[in-house]
Order: sequence, then C-alpha cells, then structure tokens
Amino acid sequence: MSRYGRTGQLIRLNLRRDRFRILMWIILLAALMTSVAWKFEGIYGTQSEIAAIKGTLASPGIVAMFGAFSFTGKVTTAEIFANEMLLFMALIQVVMNLALSVHATRYEEDLGITELVRAHAVGTAAPLAAAAVELVLINGFLGILYSLGLTAANMPGATIEGNWLIGLGLASTGLLFGVLGLLTAQLADHSSSATGLAYSLFGLSYLARMITDVQHPRLTWWSPLGWIEKLAPYNHPNWAPIWLSLLLALVLAELAVLANSHRDLGAGAITTRPGRRNASVFLRGPVSLIWRRQRNVIIGWIVGIIIFGIAYGTVFNTIADILKTNPTMQQVFGTAMVHEANHKVLLSFTSLLAIVMAAVAVIPGIQLILKLHSDETRGWLEALYARPLSRTRLLFSYVGTAFVTSTLAYIGGLAGIVVMGDASLKHVQDGISASEFWQGVWAQLPEIWVFLALSVLLVGCWPRLKAFSWFYLALGFISVYMGSLLKLPDWVKNLAPSGWMPRVPQHDVNWTTFSWMVALALVLVIIGWIGYRRRDLHMS
Amino acid sequence: MTNPVLQINHLQKKFGHFQALKDITFDVHPGEVFGFIGPNGAGKSTTIRVLLGIIRASGGDATIFGQNVWSDSVSIHQRLAYVPGDVYLWPNLTGGEIIDLLLKMNGTTHSTKTDDLIKKFGLDPTKKARTYSKGNRQKVALIAAFSQDANFYIFDEPTSGLDPLNERIFQEAVLDLKARGKAVLLSSHILSEVERMCDRIGIIREGQIIETGSLAEMRHLTRTMVTVTLGDDFDVTTLAGTHGVTAGQHPHEWQFSVEDAQLSAVMNALAQHQVITLQSTPPTLEDLFMHYYTGKE
Repeated sequence: MSRYGRTGQLIRLNLRRDRFRILMWIILLAALMTSVAWKFEGIYGTQSEIAAIKGTLASPGIVAMFGAFSFTGKVTTAEIFANEMLLFMALIQVVMNLALSVHATRYEEDLGITELVRAHAVGTAAPLAAAAVELVLINGFLGILYSLGLTAANMPGATIEGNWLIGLGLASTGLLFGVLGLLTAQLADHSSSATGLAYSLFGLSYLARMITDVQHPRLTWWSPLGWIEKLAPYNHPNWAPIWLSLLLALVLAELAVLANSHRDLGAGAITTRPGRRNASVFLRGPVSLIWRRQRNVIIGWIVGIIIFGIAYGTVFNTIADILKTNPTMQQVFGTAMVHEANHKVLLSFTSLLAIVMAAVAVIPGIQLILKLHSDETRGWLEALYARPLSRTRLLFSYVGTAFVTSTLAYIGGLAGIVVMGDASLKHVQDGISASEFWQGVWAQLPEIWVFLALSVLLVGCWPRLKAFSWFYLALGFISVYMGSLLKLPDWVKNLAPSGWMPRVPQHDVNWTTFSWMVALALVLVIIGWIGYRRRDLHMS
Repeated sequence: MTNPVLQINHLQKKFGHFQALKDITFDVHPGEVFGFIGPNGAGKSTTIRVLLGIIRASGGDATIFGQNVWSDSVSIHQRLAYVPGDVYLWPNLTGGEIIDLLLKMNGTTHSTKTDDLIKKFGLDPTKKARTYSKGNRQKVALIAAFSQDANFYIFDEPTSGLDPLNERIFQEAVLDLKARGKAVLLSSHILSEVERMCDRIGIIREGQIIETGSLAEMRHLTRTMVTVTLGDDFDVTTLAGTHGVTAGQHPHEWQFSVEDAQLSAVMNALAQHQVITLQSTPPTLEDLFMHYYTGKE
C-alpha cells in the first residue's frame, strides 16, 4: 500500500462530510462577489463618480484597509471594483480556508476519526493529501465561479483576462493559506493550537502588507497577502502573484507531508507540556476557570488588537500631512488652518477605524458567551453543575468575562491608534486629544455591548440559533467596512447596532442614543438570564 | 427507619413528544448502596440529570435531603458528589488542577486523602486532560468525588473505562462510604458489581421502574435452575411444576427451572427416581435482568 493509498475515497468522504459548510461558503462568497459586481456600474458608472472615489481610495486610511493600487490614465469602473474588493474577498477566503483545512486534518485527528480511518488499508499521508485536494477543488471551483460571475456582470472596463485573474488570484491566495493551515495542523498537537498558529501568521501577513502599503507599496511583495493587490487585473494584468502563491503553496504542502511522515498519529512538533500537580491558589471558581482555560485566547485578542491599533497609528504622520498634497495651502490659509485641516483628517480616519476596531473587539466576547453553550453540549459543564454553583453565577461568569474582554480590547485598540498616532506626529496639536479619545470610547461601547447582549439572549433562550450572532456581526461589519464605498442605503447600515451611533470622534457622542442602546443591552441580557435559569441544559 | 436521603415520586420527563421518563419512584436511605440498572436509553442518565437539576421534571417530584432538586439545587450540591458516565475535562488543564478546582468549588481542599487516592488509582496529575484516556478521565472525577465529604454520592456508570484493579479500588471505596453511613446511588451495566455492592436494586425499562427491592426479594420472583442426574429412565418432561426442561449432555441428566412454590413437590417426585447428583443455582442478577427485559428465562 503506497503512502497515498485510497486518497480518492477519502476525498469523496471529506466532500460529503463538509458538504453543508462548503455549500454555505461557496454561496456566500460567490453571491457577495457577483452581486457587488452586478451593482457596481450603478454606483461608480460615471466619470465624476469615479473621480470622487479615486481620491478617497488614495487616502492613507483606505489604503491601510484596502491596499495600495496605482491608477494610470483613464480609470474605469472595473478598476475601482478591483481595488475595493480584492483584499476584502481575499480576507474572507483565507478565513474559510483556515477553517476548512484545520477541520479536515487535526480536528478529525483530535476526535479519533483519523485513527479509525488509518486502521484501514489507507496510506499514511492519504488523509493529508485528501484534505489538500479538497482545498484545491473548493478554491478552484470558487475561482471559476468568480470569473464567470464577473464576466456575466460585464462591468465597464472589465476584460476577460482581468476577470480570470481575479478569480484565479483569489483561488490561489485562498489555497496558499489553506495549505498553511494544513502545515500548522501537522506542527501543533491539537486543533485549537493549529488554528491559533495559522491565524498568527495570517495576522502577521496582514500587518506587513498594511504597513508597507501605506509607506512603501513596493515592499508589499514581501507579504503573501499583499500579492493579491499586485494582480492589477484591469490595468496591468500580472500573473506573477498567482505563480508565486502556487509555488509557495507547493513548498508548504511539501513541508506538511514531510512533517506528517516524521510524526506519530496524535503527536506534533509543538507538544503539550505536562503542567502543575496542584491548582494554584488563584484557580478556585468559575471565573478563574474561564481565565485559566481561555487566558491565551483572551490575552492574544487584546494584545493583537492593540498591535493593530499601533500599526494603524504609525500612519498618522503620513496622513496628517496635507501640505504634501497641497503645498500652497499654508501660504493661502496660514499655519493654524493647516493644523486644523490635518486634525480633521485624523479625526475622520480615527472614526472610521474605531468602528472597525469595535467590530473586531466583539469577536472574542461572542466566542466566550457562545462557549457557555458549547461547553454545555460537550459535557464540560456537567462537572461544574454538580457543584454548589447556581446557573446565575455560571452565566454571569462567562458573560462578565466576555464583556470585560471586549471592552478592554476595544479601548486598548483605540488607545493603540491614538497614543502611537499622536507620538508619531510632528505637531502634537494635530493629533487626537484625550477628550476626543474618550468620546470615541463611549460612542462604540454600547454597540459592542448590544452585540454581546444579543448572544446572551440566544444562549439563554434559543441556543440553537446561536450562529445568528456571527451572522449579525458580519452584517454589521460589512455594512460599516464596505457601507460607504458601496453606497449601501441607510436602512441597511441601520440594521445592525454599528450603524446607530454617529461617527465619533468626528461627531459628538449622542447621549440619548447611548442611553437607549445601553438599556437595550441590559434588557437583552436580563431576558437571556431568565431563559437560562429556566431551560433544560443539553448534555451529550 | 431513618429519613431517606433521596425520594422520587412518580417522576416524569418529556422531551417534546418523547416521554423519556414515565413513572420513576424509589428512595435511597443513609448507609445504603442503591443499584440502578437498565439497558441503554431506558432513562437512567435522564433520571440522574433531573436529580442534579440540570433538566427540569415535567411531572412528579424528587427531593434530596428533603429539598427540591430543581429549586434548591445549589444547597443540595453542597453535600452531594457526582461522577458522570462520560467524563469531559477541560483539555488544557492538568488532572491535578481539575481535582483541586472541583474540591475548592465545594468548599473543601486537597487533603492527604486526595494524595492517597491519586496514588491508589495510579493517576499522573501533571498531565493535561486532553492527553488522558477515558479511564484516566474517570479517575480524575472519582478522586475528586471520593475526597469530598458528601452525604450523597451519585455514580453514573463510573467504571466503564477502568481496569479490573481500579474497579476493585472503586468498589472498596464505595463500601467504605457505606460503612460510614453515606447514601450511594450507583447506575451501572456491570451486573456483578451491582450484585456485590448494592443493598437494593431498581430496574428501569422504557422510562419506568419495573422492580425495586433487594436481590434476595427479587429472586423469589423468578425460578431456581436445577441440574439433576437420575438413576433410572424417568422422563422429567412429564413432571408437573417444571419449566424449560432440556436433556443434558450425559444420559439421565436433565436441566430445568422450578418456581419456589413448587420446589418441594418437585424434589419429592425426583427422590422416587434415585437422584445421583443435584445442583441448584439461584438466579443471578443477570438472569433477573434478562427475565425482565426479554420476558424469557
């Protein structure tokens, strides 16, 4: 039996096992791409619309989020589309690939399914090879769908080559990170560690491309995530990024196979070390238990968000230099006006990022609250529940930790932007003041709390619908990240709490909105709490 | 008679349209080990979860220490220890940390007794829980339960992953609890274990308790197995009061079962035919179990 024996059968099995999640991802991604392309001519069809957005896309804040692109000559609708969508779609596709790759390999191994499979006449590397082929199939299929969808949408300025470049470019970027997931799944010895490692590398590539994009776009070639920006599909079609991605994917796949053949089933290069013989004095109740179990995740998120904030802050200096683009301004309006204008630019930049930061800070909180339910179904709460520990205390241990984590993460991220940003400025008075910073904090916290409170409600009353929390957050995130660029109507932005508060610190905090949002969060938590006290717990 | 620790009266539980528990009634007294047996899906774990207040009964009532299992669960759990059938432990904590944490949450601490138990069961407390086998996970839960000074212990199939040596240690520990006047509810598939340790037994089938009582009481309900070798050609199938008569492997050897009431009449009849050997065995718990479940002998 060769090392890859029965890979074909395993591929079929994998595809059947994952059919719903694959279908969901494909529908979501293909629909997003095609519908935006379809609508795009209506948004940026005329030359004046294009000229207006062209300036916006060149501003450092947008470059930090969407990547740096060079426009030459007459800019077409399709070029604007490529600028706005490429990196954004790549991010979602990477998330999909990391989820699928770790799930198909290390997670199955954790569950003991790989052991069952390998006990049959199946090659040693077959499960890994099957997962790799599965990724190739999904990404390839999705890439073809993108290309066909773009061709059908037929935006002004779109070319057949450009359409295929986008489709295959996204497919190869997705595949590259999927294979990275396969590699970390071979190195780590359990799935959450593999996912964590893969996401750290993904985050690092994102940071690298962001910093280089704002300062030296040429250096973005050093980040694999930056390659997607270099496709320039509708102005200077470039196939090199695709070959680079595929080549690197091949190298990583080879490393994964190597690691796979040098390890025992269930083991990894990064092993779980033995730990304490006794619990520390600190570990004594539900809150400290959550902390002990999740501290790496909690600290990781908070530190990660602060680093992102700092990274965004480093570009303050570049942004707040209106004189660079408008050298005559000082002579015409005087120094004070220039500082005022610089300050305005920074305020609007910070307001935009504050919304993004808030959406990201909600993620660990929702994870913690939903954990209350996944711990319940996995039987981890059964041992706790036989203790003299009320459901109220259990619920609020998770919920409290979640609220504190998200709140700290957001404040930390915003502080990272402001402190680093102000420090990087030549003229501190251009920067964000302490009172503006706190305005920014107070404005976004109710939004964060409403998102978390919704999760509490779901876990307390209708735990089967808990996935709705993610859907709702995604809606909120997309509507603020893409909302103004896609000119989404106001009612869409107002569907999620992220749209309810005016942009702060650009505007002042609306304390009426603040009060009713906090009240809403409180009501949702209370209903969830009552539900949780009354319902049956589900044990496996 | 002392007050029962656990009292269950006509307990019912519905999941949607499915009636998981139809009618459960039994008591457990201090100093008693109560065996709770029944096949998979009969409702043993559901009953235990109602007792722990994890799920809410839809009818009837259940009290532990005289307190309602749903509304007073926190105060009941102060004096209760529980070991689930499938023990799930937080994967990134060590066994030692989990034992200590569970004890602290009951207001007790790691004692020399805990160390003794860790040694006896042969557990390595420094390993992360994700690396433990099923048996080792059960040991963690058992050590935590036995080092706790509770008044009522609930074990839900606690030995399914243990080796015979550890099973013996478990049984000794339970008998020790009994000697100290504690009440124990033991749900188990290992009938020899139940037979050896339990004072009384409750048999559950399809959500209903179909029999409770001591093993001795239950034996009266079934028949004694008899194997006999006779000195002549007497055909035992013609004898009144016998059931399931089969010819044995040797000539003149017969096997059959007799109800207790007919026993002396049957013996008198056999005595007429030169009994050479006679063996009688009381029904084992396994026979009883099969009797209740399949309706056969």
